[in-house]
Amino acid sequence: MSTVKKAVYEKGFGKPVISNDVKDHANDPFFVEKLEKAKKALSKITFPESIKK
Amino acid sequence: MNLDRYTFFTSDYQDYEFFSEGPKGRIKKVVKFMKAQDDPIIFNLAFGDEDPLTGNVSDVIITDNKDTDIVLATVANTVNSFCDHFGNHYIYVEGSTPSRTRLYQMSISRIFAEITTDFDVHGLKDDELYRFELNVNYEAFLVKRKIK
Repeated sequence: MSTVKKAVYEKGFGKPVISNDVKDHANDPFFVEKLEKAKKALSKITFPESIKK
Repeated sequence: MNLDRYTFFTSDYQDYEFFSEGPKGRIKKVVKFMKAQDDPIIFNLAFGDEDPLTGNVSDVIITDNKDTDIVLATVANTVNSFCDHFGNHYIYVEGSTPSRTRLYQMSISRIFAEITTDFDVHGLKDDELYRFELNVNYEAFLVKRKIK
């Protein structure tokens, strides 16, 4: 993957390149902390019934 | 959405990587989606730079690689890819600091017309949810892909 250079497309959404080199960051402290911060912020918000299940 | 973007990589459609290229060099960006709540279903989107030496991810350092809009467009592409595989759920985005959130807001504002062709964008402020408006400062953002 280190040889991949910048590729910029002009039109539409693109599909990702599947690569097993991409790590699972589920236990990464950075992302765990971000998730907890998001949960805390979201818990304070009252969502309209129209967007709930 | 007709915006320039970087090639992006994934192994599971929840973790994504791409490389920012600019005056500061080639910087690996990491994006991850994690479920934050069930009703309504909301996934947290977090992204940052991966340190090439330690592998640690951080969003505290301002990269200043002169490609913010391309980076944001690439992140929008990861949202689209994520939704392709997991559904059109709400995605929560918040900067690490108010100034970083403000930076995101400025980028969203610049490409707002492009984004809103595909996404509904909301802003969060004082624990209330609002439809995103230009020139209003928000504390975080919720986006949801439109059903077409």
